[in-house]
Amino acid sequence: MLNKHCGVCPSADTTLQGFIASLDVETAHHRVKNQRVKCGFGLQGVCCRLCSNGPCRITPEAPQGVCGANADTIVARNFLRAVAAGAGCYVHVLENAAQTLKELSLQKGKFKGEAVLNRLADMFGIDEPDMHQKGVLVATKILEDLYKPRAAKMELVEKLAYKPRFDLWKELGILPGGAKSEVFDGIVKTSTNLSSDPVNMLFHCLTLGIVTGLYGLTLTNLVNDVMLGEPAIRIAPVGFRVIDEGYINIMLTGHQHAIFAHLQDCLIEEGISARAQAVGAKGFRLIGCTCVGQDLQLRGTHYQDVFAGHAGNNFTSEAVIATGGVDLILSEFNCTLPGIESIADKMQVKMICLDDMAKKANADLLAYSFKDREENSERVICEAIESYQQRRKQINVCIPKEHGHDDCVTGLSEMSLKGFLGGSWQPLIDLIVKGKIKGLAGVVGCSNLTAKGHDVFTVELTKELIKRNILVLSAGCSSGGLENVGLMSPGAAKLAGNELREVCESLGIPPVLNFGPCLAIGRLEIIATEVAEVLGVDLPALPLVLSAPQWLEEQALADGSFGLALGLPLHLAQPPFMTGSKLVADVLTEQLLNITGGQIIIEDDVVKAADKLEAIIGQKRTALGLT
Amino acid sequence: MKRIIIDKSLCMGCLNCTIACMSEHSSGSKSIYELDLEDAANEGRNHITLDQCNKPTPIFCRHCDDPECVTACMTGAMTKNADTGKVSYDEEHCAACFMCVMSCPYGVLKPSSQKDKKVIRCDYCQDREIPRCVENCPTEAIKFVEVDK
Repeated sequence: MLNKHCGVCPSADTTLQGFIASLDVETAHHRVKNQRVKCGFGLQGVCCRLCSNGPCRITPEAPQGVCGANADTIVARNFLRAVAAGAGCYVHVLENAAQTLKELSLQKGKFKGEAVLNRLADMFGIDEPDMHQKGVLVATKILEDLYKPRAAKMELVEKLAYKPRFDLWKELGILPGGAKSEVFDGIVKTSTNLSSDPVNMLFHCLTLGIVTGLYGLTLTNLVNDVMLGEPAIRIAPVGFRVIDEGYINIMLTGHQHAIFAHLQDCLIEEGISARAQAVGAKGFRLIGCTCVGQDLQLRGTHYQDVFAGHAGNNFTSEAVIATGGVDLILSEFNCTLPGIESIADKMQVKMICLDDMAKKANADLLAYSFKDREENSERVICEAIESYQQRRKQINVCIPKEHGHDDCVTGLSEMSLKGFLGGSWQPLIDLIVKGKIKGLAGVVGCSNLTAKGHDVFTVELTKELIKRNILVLSAGCSSGGLENVGLMSPGAAKLAGNELREVCESLGIPPVLNFGPCLAIGRLEIIATEVAEVLGVDLPALPLVLSAPQWLEEQALADGSFGLALGLPLHLAQPPFMTGSKLVADVLTEQLLNITGGQIIIEDDVVKAADKLEAIIGQKRTALGLT
Repeated sequence: MKRIIIDKSLCMGCLNCTIACMSEHSSGSKSIYELDLEDAANEGRNHITLDQCNKPTPIFCRHCDDPECVTACMTGAMTKNADTGKVSYDEEHCAACFMCVMSCPYGVLKPSSQKDKKVIRCDYCQDREIPRCVENCPTEAIKFVEVDK
């Protein structure tokens, strides 16, 4: 689908689309057209290349691979592999965060969110007066769980999970053993001529969903809150306008806020600006990009002097670099697209990678280590100064300052939202009961370029939902798209249905709430759980739906598996390579309703998707006795 | 004579036909393992496009009964064999005017992406009994079948 910007895929963010179309560098938005013919077998998940007899593909003439694996086995195997990889990514993120908390605690460093440490300690049943020792104990408890063998169940699951869910998971036999072992065994199980049981593999996905959600998402958020400070609701600028060419700009990509903790502190130290001024810049600025940028935005109240704002999501990052305003790219995890490399080279932007999990081909590897933090942060600062000096004379800076908004409402978390509501969920529940808010929709996950274009499905679906008085909560690259088109600014209230509009205008809030990174899907789960607790119901009874309309990555599939384990309806615009198996598709879209209460809803039409989600909310309201 | 017959409804857009063609016409090994998928010199003589409904649509040379490419060719490089039905192309006689490319009603002929001023067109894989694209189509969306003259 090409439009007036010939050759570039459409974006909901038309300013961005125009900017990309004007560039003389190639981006993912340009490459979509040359990749538009897809392999039908791949799309349906029925290509298997686990052995040298393959790749085998399923056709009417060849319903089994050479080994005898049918479509159900092949699809389930591919799906579990993807979920295991995605869960592994989140576990890696938590492992680094918990390890950092442990080392920070041992060094008697400063916690910016002590209340969260107390909350975690209470949750874990740790009674320890010394805060640093408490930090060590909390981090150790998490790490011990991650490293358990698969046969030993992780201890914190029961403390983190909502009781009705925990009981159900136990009954279903899907409580996770050690997180890393569960990921490891997911890979083993799906290797050549091992498991052929699709149902067993799908249940393993649910287990990995629990690992992902409670550990990779929730605990990573909370551990980072301890070290980096709790989110606080505030108004912040978003989009390309946050880039000020007068500064030495360091762009961040990835998912591990903990890794940047020391650098952030260095960049607000006294005297640091003088080093920038010595080379003609006003100071240093961190430019948020991808989910770690969302994390910085969420906790931005603690770093207002150095954090410029969130520029954009995964598929905005190439264009951010192409403005020429970025002097150094610091990356540490995924959503660091390989496509940024050639643009960084052309714009003479130094690239430093802090975690070899996401080592970029043209980046220097400066592996993160708490022990070497002083030295590493100093090296980053020196490289940024040097890059600024070298490139600014030669590179034209062209930043579309009209892009984005100055009044994005950010800093939402389970605590800050409850605080905003007066310390209780009752006001939200009252609004739902009265029908002022028909229900809640978590529009979460990634952005891709194929569900109608960059952020197109996400933005259109969100508009449809708020029009129907459904309050939207967003976490992930989806929120990056939604904020840049203004849906997270208070003025967006006028796009909502009358009832929701009235609520938003009286509170001065937008109809789409920005929880930041994909990790914050874990915060949405906490909110859902606490609301369910107040109502005395299990999660599937809530008028709450999830949509990851533009899911992109394996991590999104792990997040989605968490949603299914929680018993929630999950809409996807594109099927997760599963339609080739009637059995897998049936389990995920129908049978799971009777097992966990969850289901995947595949719908690639925006209005029909909104109809389906609204109908589910309606059914749940009726079941709760609400009109 | 034999022709490639296309059943569009069976095409899944896997591009196996295209990579098979690239491999068969590659200057090096004919092994699919050794086909350099990043080398623009490896060009397919067929392609898959998407129709208005996003349905994959194979575009193959028809070796037409009344081939426009042959009519348009002023040097005689493009010829039709009345017995086999095959349209052949003789690079040596080609003046690279690309009138054949412009006149092909299916848009299947194309100039080489290299600087050698040649035309890229289907040759039914020269001496192969079955063209390699047909052999490599997993859904039988393309078949090599005997048709009446």
